[in-house]
Amino acid sequence: MSRVHTLHSIPVCVQSIEVTIGDNAYQQNRVNQWTTNVVEQSLSQLSKLGKPFKYIVTCVIMQKTGAGVQSASACFWDNTTDGNCSVTWENKSMYCIVSVFGLAI
Amino acid sequence: MDTSDAYIIRPNHRHKFKPAVVRECIREIVRERLSAAKYDPKEVSEQSRSLADCVRDKVKCAGFDRYKLVVQVVIGEQRGQGVKMMSRCLWDADTDNYAEDVFFNFVLCGDCFWNLLLLRIRRYSIRDER
Repeated sequence: MSRVHTLHSIPVCVQSIEVTIGDNAYQQNRVNQWTTNVVEQSLSQLSKLGKPFKYIVTCVIMQKTGAGVQSASACFWDNTTDGNCSVTWENKSMYCIVSVFGLAI
Repeated sequence: MDTSDAYIIRPNHRHKFKPAVVRECIREIVRERLSAAKYDPKEVSEQSRSLADCVRDKVKCAGFDRYKLVVQVVIGEQRGQGVKMMSRCLWDADTDNYAEDVFFNFVLCGDCFWNLLLLRIRRYSIRDER
């Protein structure tokens, strides 16, 4: 994934998070729906960009209680064509981490 | 000169990605490394990175040729918070697949404060079609 395409992916993810969650407080009975919507909207916007990539989009939503969280990834791919980007977003009651992996076809 | 591999567009069933095999690899590595571990903010970064590298290297040796691999590790400290992880993929459902494992670790500290490690490893495998 070129640097330009990585940069295009970031606002797509941020927009899908803001539209889905916005200023809402963490609610156990809604978090399922939020994660599904964030991921599906990000994926559909990315596929509309029309680039020849396969995508993997993951979303983690975690309530803010002072706990720590760490995400790491290791990939076996072609460095010249494939890439990833990660967006960390927060509001007063939760963290949201969205990772996008793009693999060239 | 054997060039038959260059004309294979799809894997036959013997060479397809097998989630069950990979799940076992992941489970073995995770249990070996994290059973007695405690969440430490200074070490978790290195721990998660080396775990991802280890899983990727082990699966590379499992014999899935012409597959690209993506391994994602998420380690969280449990303090009673709610957490949800979700993923979606745009890929070729015939050839590409994933395996995941979730691990919980219960460690009782001296003052009866429970530290739990929540680990989700998702390993995605995407066939290289070039």
